[in-house]
Amino acid sequence: MAIIERPSDTPALAGTSGVVTPSSSYGYFRRPVESTGWKSWAFTVDHKKIGIMYGVSAMVFFFIGGFEALLIRLQLAQPDGTILSADKYNQMFTMHATTMVFLFVMPMAAAFANYMMPLQIGARDVAFPRLNALSFWTFIFGGIFINTSWFLGGAADGGWFMYAPNSSVPFSPTNGVDFWTLGLLMTGVASQVGAVNLIVTALNMRAPGMTLMRMPIFTWMALVVQFLLLFAIPIITVALFLLLFQRNFDATFFNVAEGADPLLWQHLFWLFGHPEVYILVLPSFGIISEVLPTFSRKPLFGYPFVVFSGAAIGLVGFGVWAHHMFAAGLGPISVAVFSVATMAIAVPTGVKIINWTLTMWGGKLWFSTAMLFAVGLIVQFTVGGLSGVTHAVAPSDTQQTDTYYIVAHFHYVIFGGAVLGLFAGIYYWWPKVFGKMLNETWGRWNFWLMIIGMNLTFGPMHIIGLQGQPRRMYVWTENRAGEGFFNLGFWNLVSTIGSFILGVGALLFLVNIWVSRKNPPAPADPWDARSLEWITQNPPKEHNFDRTPTIHALDEFFHRKYEDVGEDGQHDYKQVRTGEQVIAEEEANADAHIHLPSPSYWPIILSFGMLVVCYGVIYSFLLLAVGAAICILALFGWALEPPTADDSEFDPPSDGGQPSKELAHV
Amino acid sequence: MESASTVSTMSRRAKLRGPAARIALVAGLGALVAGCAQDAPQDTWDPAGPNAEMINDLDWIVFPIAGIVGLIVLTFVAIIVVKFRDRGQAIPEQTHGKPALEIGLTILPALILIGIAIPTVGTIMALNETDDTECIVNVTGQQWWWEVDYAQQDGCGGIPEPIVTSGQMVIPVGTPVLVRGTSRDVIHSWWIPRLNGKRDMVPGRVHTLRLEADEPGIYAGQCTEFCGLSHANMRMEVVALEPDDFEAWKAQQLAPYQAPAAGTLAATGEGTYVAQCARCHQVNGLEDADGAPVIARPDLQVYSGAAPNLSYFMTRNTFAGASWDLLTDECRADVWEAPPEEFGERYLEGVTADCLNSVDLREWLRNAPAKKPMYADAEKLEVTDGLVRGMPNLALSEDQIDELIAYLLERK
Amino acid sequence: MSDTTTEPPLTPEPDAAAPAAPDEAIPAGFDDGQDHIGLVHHTATGLSNTKLAMWLFLGSECLLFGGLISTYMLYRNRQGDALGPDQLWDIPFTSATSFVLLMSSLTMVLSVSAAKRKDERGTRLWLTVTALLGGLFLAGQVYEFTVFYREGLGYTTSLFSSSFYTLTGFHGVHVAVGIIMLLALVGMLAKGRIVGDKAETVEMVGLYWHFVDVVWIVIFTLVYLVPA
Repeated sequence: MAIIERPSDTPALAGTSGVVTPSSSYGYFRRPVESTGWKSWAFTVDHKKIGIMYGVSAMVFFFIGGFEALLIRLQLAQPDGTILSADKYNQMFTMHATTMVFLFVMPMAAAFANYMMPLQIGARDVAFPRLNALSFWTFIFGGIFINTSWFLGGAADGGWFMYAPNSSVPFSPTNGVDFWTLGLLMTGVASQVGAVNLIVTALNMRAPGMTLMRMPIFTWMALVVQFLLLFAIPIITVALFLLLFQRNFDATFFNVAEGADPLLWQHLFWLFGHPEVYILVLPSFGIISEVLPTFSRKPLFGYPFVVFSGAAIGLVGFGVWAHHMFAAGLGPISVAVFSVATMAIAVPTGVKIINWTLTMWGGKLWFSTAMLFAVGLIVQFTVGGLSGVTHAVAPSDTQQTDTYYIVAHFHYVIFGGAVLGLFAGIYYWWPKVFGKMLNETWGRWNFWLMIIGMNLTFGPMHIIGLQGQPRRMYVWTENRAGEGFFNLGFWNLVSTIGSFILGVGALLFLVNIWVSRKNPPAPADPWDARSLEWITQNPPKEHNFDRTPTIHALDEFFHRKYEDVGEDGQHDYKQVRTGEQVIAEEEANADAHIHLPSPSYWPIILSFGMLVVCYGVIYSFLLLAVGAAICILALFGWALEPPTADDSEFDPPSDGGQPSKELAHV
Repeated sequence: MESASTVSTMSRRAKLRGPAARIALVAGLGALVAGCAQDAPQDTWDPAGPNAEMINDLDWIVFPIAGIVGLIVLTFVAIIVVKFRDRGQAIPEQTHGKPALEIGLTILPALILIGIAIPTVGTIMALNETDDTECIVNVTGQQWWWEVDYAQQDGCGGIPEPIVTSGQMVIPVGTPVLVRGTSRDVIHSWWIPRLNGKRDMVPGRVHTLRLEADEPGIYAGQCTEFCGLSHANMRMEVVALEPDDFEAWKAQQLAPYQAPAAGTLAATGEGTYVAQCARCHQVNGLEDADGAPVIARPDLQVYSGAAPNLSYFMTRNTFAGASWDLLTDECRADVWEAPPEEFGERYLEGVTADCLNSVDLREWLRNAPAKKPMYADAEKLEVTDGLVRGMPNLALSEDQIDELIAYLLERK
Repeated sequence: MSDTTTEPPLTPEPDAAAPAAPDEAIPAGFDDGQDHIGLVHHTATGLSNTKLAMWLFLGSECLLFGGLISTYMLYRNRQGDALGPDQLWDIPFTSATSFVLLMSSLTMVLSVSAAKRKDERGTRLWLTVTALLGGLFLAGQVYEFTVFYREGLGYTTSLFSSSFYTLTGFHGVHVAVGIIMLLALVGMLAKGRIVGDKAETVEMVGLYWHFVDVVWIVIFTLVYLVPA
């Protein structure tokens, strides 16, 4: 049964004051309305398409960043390596980290937040769909911009936290740092704008009956992350502008000869940087908080505790930044305060681990690939979290910081935490998003090779670091490697071999996608899931829900399928409906009026304008002016364009009736 | 539910392998961890002085606790994945949580962390104590080497005149030394793991660090704050000598200039040195052909303003930011692996012609930037107004190198 | 798109006639098949999407200006021998321009009030006055900076000067953007091109304008009034 949309000039809903006659912007451009083909992707405002684009882009950057990592490991497989020159190596580790943090993990989490949040709260789209498109295009142009630096004189080479004064022109003479700065300003805009968008969506657009404490846990974690982004991004924006002005306009913010304090950069950066690491990992925490209950057939243990600990981590995360600066000369009182605060933040994190394991306790565990990744996260993140506790001890940290022990820690928490969680989400929601199942056997190979690879790569780094190998060294020497079979040389080699196993494991994911592309359509409810996003087709129709659902409980889908028929305090759950039946019931009671926002040119044009401005800052004032003009044009076009296109702008249907819009097949 | 059960049948075979494999993996990881390097020169778990010992004592509290907690969690997970796997049981009890258990399991880690926090704060304060230091050594980081200088002072047995050296900091055994450090350009970090944690050396600021060695020996370190191109080639050592050996060292460093005997290769080398090297590298007491003192002006050539003082070059045994040895492998082993009672004597011998590692030194003199990545390419120095960062390629001939080496060998 | 299955349910349908306890979380009249989401009255917070978005954005702007103000406070005394605040500030003049900006917030309030009364002419009038006063403030800033520049305080003269110009420059850009928004709003109101609730759009721009004013009060106090 196809559902025809009605245009928005029918004031069917009370309360809208002022009937407006929308028309094409400027009268010259016909608004894009295509629902198939590349234009339907380039100008889309549909959160699901945007989510998919985020995910695909993030995956591409994952492999780019991974390739950079393999080059690093090849260089370090032997002493005094010559695979990469010092200059290239410094660019390589800077770009590896920048790519992985800003262009892979954050956008992949954004992919999930974009795709799943509206579905999980029963909404048809996000609060500001065109802004959502802007976020995506700004991110992808920013990511491409940073990476063009490889071919335009050299990439940034100051490390991903780009300490001053090493980042200033005399010490980093190529344009690389400027590419980095401007590119991150662009991706910062994307995240900031996205944060406002998703917070409004989660707070304002929940389906009736969905109180905050009935909101699915992934949406909760994503919401906390958006607040972190909202308040952290402006801080790094300030830092990036100060650096930009120093490098391009001779400001002296980090020029010691003029009296500047280099620690200013560190404080500004880490005030962003520490919340950033929770931005990286909380979405994955949210994902596995969905996956574990589904495959344990029981609810998340202690949902309120998980929610509040997530919020606590977010809040306290703003108060521990100087633990990245224990050796920087802060003074003992500051060091002691931040040391204790950092230990405090381990408590809510530990709460989550406890809750996840207790979710599985007493369950009926089904080890699908998604579940394997989720359990993998618990195991690997615990290792990374515990090494983090050892860093919190500031005196120990003065031995550990800037060594491979730190590299081990953050790879265990980022790879073992954030990335494993993202893969769990991919395997879990793949049937929902693409309508097909991913192959489980290939999935197992994918998982196990990644786990073995990651442990062989990052496990030895604990040893290497504690035994004295600093990080960011383009070579290591025999002289400092110690004696015996298990010396640092041995472990460096093991780490390199591990990284290649990890690379193969990651490639198997792509193999799985390829091999599964011709699978039959997935069943409507393949995992017997619990939350709201599953009460849609696979993939969902463009308008998500045929009828806006009314929510009566947390795990709404579960409660529609299963009823407790136990007596006298005994619980006995019987299935009263299949997933398909629940979905069919919604379809049969579809809403009569469904309003969807219309596609638009302006987001991609505005993003493009920003890209031109960025190139202009580096190369030519004229280019900057052209870019600025494009931006202003796009902003005005956007402001003058209504959210939904006029009827007249749609192609008439073939039956000769009134123009209307058929649903797109995503 | 058909689809779900099909999938679960497929994975049942894998299920038994899954959890067992995971347990094996973790156990294997544990076994691997037991394999460490022996005698790693920068081993943080091999303290050789009271500051590093304080840190290591704290490590011995924290690491085992972390390890035990980790084992508990991993064991718990391993038990769960075996015990509760799907064996066809009914839908489990839909437990939503047990607040009492949760609160208890929140308080427990908090208590453990408080237990860790108390000795941590104590150690932070203790490590900050520098009042008992008896000697001050200044350290200045610069791309990509360390300058070490001793101001005139009563400490360290009395230092009558400033001593300037680079790459190796010599201190008396058992004497707490206050390292006062800064940088001339970007942020570096001074780290001698067996003696203490690291301290960043920040331009425009002076940071202090207490160092004390229990026994004679040579303690390796590296710059541990990314400082650009040759960050990996910025190393240093601290050398601890018994008090009388330290007095002998001081005497070496304050000995008056000895011009080479006339007619020797070294004498020609002196001239070459004045022509090629003395612009940047100071040798105290050196005079030119007219008898005027030769004062190095590295601030006119080098962006960060200084170059290593080579007056007593061959009394130390590493060069070029302590990245290469001046000693051949054999001679190096003699010094670095000497037992503590013989170490001082061997170190004070310095570098002799027989022990000189001329391979690396010649490569360096032949073309320094080719050996150690630095910014010395004249075409690329616009941003630093033509000043170099590091040592430029002097295009020396092999004869000039012979002469210089002969001259340098006498710098003791 | 999946077709509905024709399998029979596993157990009999629960008795649809048995009334469930009313769920207080669900607003009355919501199960009527209408698409209600996102409208002013039906948002869970009670604020419309745009207003909530503006508040969140302004929250993040606090952090932006916080970072810039912190940088200034760190570097305010680092001018070496060059000019410092004592030699430069003309407090009476800056007080006058600050007063102008403050008054523009008043006229903004008048505009919002007119919009709520559906007084279209009044709304546009007061918006224009607000923009003019904002422009007057900016003109005062430009004049002031030209004087400083002629007296020797360039952008790169000292840390103090770089921080000062960066902080006030960012603020000035925010004011300029605000003026553009005000004038664009006047134009769009005149041409009837506002989609949705006009009063709310005016109010939202008003929120931004007031924020810019409040930031100026903080800057004026810390930069000009508090002695170095």
